[in-house]
Amino acid sequence: MSEIPWNVIAMQLFFGIALGCIFVLLSSGMSIIYGLLDVVNFAHGTFAMLGAYAVFVVVSLSDNFFVGIVSAVVIVGIIGMVIEFLLLKPLSGKDPLLPLLLTFGLSVAIPDFMKIAFGLIGKPVNFPEVLSGAITLGPLTLPGYRLFIIIFTLVAMISLWLFLKKSDLGMIIRASTRDSLMVQTLGINVSRIWTVGFGMGVGLAALAGAIAAPMMSATPDMGVDMTMTAFVVTVVGGLGSLGGAIVGGLFIGLVVAFTSYVAGAYSSVSMYFCMAVILLVRPRGLFGEQGRD
Amino acid sequence: MVDDRTSSIKLPDLHSPPKPVIVYGTFIVLLFLPLVISTPLATEILIWTIFGLGFNILLGYTGVLSFGHAAYFGLGAYAAGLAFRYFNASVPVGIVMGILAAMVLACIIGALAIRSKGVYFAMISLAFGQMLYFLALSPLKGITGGEDGLTRIPPLDFLSFSLGKPLPLYYFICIITGIMLFVTWRILQSPFGKLLQAFRENEERAKACGYNTTLVKYCSLVISAFYAGLAGALNTVYLSYVPLSTLFWLTSGTMVMMTILGGKGTFLGPLLGVGVFLFLQNTISLITPRWELFVGGMFVVIILVFPGGIMGTLAEKFAAFRMRREGK
Repeated sequence: MSEIPWNVIAMQLFFGIALGCIFVLLSSGMSIIYGLLDVVNFAHGTFAMLGAYAVFVVVSLSDNFFVGIVSAVVIVGIIGMVIEFLLLKPLSGKDPLLPLLLTFGLSVAIPDFMKIAFGLIGKPVNFPEVLSGAITLGPLTLPGYRLFIIIFTLVAMISLWLFLKKSDLGMIIRASTRDSLMVQTLGINVSRIWTVGFGMGVGLAALAGAIAAPMMSATPDMGVDMTMTAFVVTVVGGLGSLGGAIVGGLFIGLVVAFTSYVAGAYSSVSMYFCMAVILLVRPRGLFGEQGRD
Repeated sequence: MVDDRTSSIKLPDLHSPPKPVIVYGTFIVLLFLPLVISTPLATEILIWTIFGLGFNILLGYTGVLSFGHAAYFGLGAYAAGLAFRYFNASVPVGIVMGILAAMVLACIIGALAIRSKGVYFAMISLAFGQMLYFLALSPLKGITGGEDGLTRIPPLDFLSFSLGKPLPLYYFICIITGIMLFVTWRILQSPFGKLLQAFRENEERAKACGYNTTLVKYCSLVISAFYAGLAGALNTVYLSYVPLSTLFWLTSGTMVMMTILGGKGTFLGPLLGVGVFLFLQNTISLITPRWELFVGGMFVVIILVFPGGIMGTLAEKFAAFRMRREGK
């Protein structure tokens, strides 16, 4: 226990950050949806699962992983917008628990539909050849794909940040998160912004599922665990906070990576334990705002 | 103090309280249930009804959505199963162990999470439920049997009736269900029950009236864990086996679907929801193993079109009918 070589620690750190990056993408989507629509998306992991399947389908058609990632985001984003428009819109202004229950129903039904469409057995997605190698950095050998995940997430989050800060649509989204009634008064169709926001959030989930697919292969039931992880990260980071999603995601990723090294049996339990501790110390999560809950 | 406020001012109930005849009538109907449907299905309906009665106190009457009730159900099941298997406990002792374990867990989770409102509580309770699931799956495998569930529970009997046979078991559980129906009815009639409903309608106002809303919600959670633990323990008696799936999140989800289907916040809602749900599940799974697609899809439709569930929609229609007749 006392003598863990430093390069092992560095490797776990690296794995933890790569895992955390997937969590970051997953929960930032969840945060955007909650911030904008006040909807806790219970089917978030289900959309990530759809993203993984979309990658599988597109890669087997086009043989290009990067085309697969982009089309996964677009396909799932459109599915999400349709679902928001048809199913969630009629519930706005009613009991706030109803959207949660509705998305829960989706998370029960959609995996079963995928079982009919693609069978029970998971669909493997091959690593893109460019990234299947390893990069040697001094005494460390870093798997290329995980390095790609980290860089890719970094780029994705920076562009998301730039989009929200600099573009007109991003500004409207931020304003609607703060006070949708005011934005409506200024003559902007907030209802349409909700649809776009839901599509974006779900698209981020699909992105997480898509880049996770080569490591865990797409299975119909993978969504549940991803939803749970998104919940834990969101509770740790604070509901509706993008910064919280980033810090919480990386933190939980590191926790899971280190516990699976030290005590493998506890790797699934550790993140829930972390959540319990955070709740004791800071009930609103690390970055939760005072006014919202 | 509490009695004073609720009894001196006669407040009209939003939903008229169930008459005693409904409680006794339901019990009598349940006595004859095995004549209509198969005994195992009827037994399952009873077990889930007990679970649902407690869940409805929390969701329907207090307005708190817990997505982690599988934790109490499963812990009750495992506690009873462990008592039976390792300590050769008698049936009542095992059931009491299950109830106590579930209530202690509710005390802990409630202390951590009951302050958080609405969706936050739903997420936290769900995560705690999954934590228990993974604990039983792998770190505690030696005791719980991991993925295989807890097996080799010795045959049980109660007052020299063998509970291995379907009918004695059914009537054993049926009597407990009858008692729980009566207890639930009494709770809802009590000042405490009225307080729960007051919170659901307007928590801020109840708080302004000087009631400790957090404490009452906490009590409501622990009470509903009592039901869940009891149902879990009975499930162990029924199956003489504890499947790991009792702790799985889908168990909580199923309970949520049943309660919403029957009509949350109505006395008979859970019973109806459980009955219809299990009947549908049994019928559809005969045709196709993909019953979740239908059940999930149906649930989405219910949320969109009949958020009041079966009982809620019936009550609405009945009220509209009466209004029209009185208007004429």
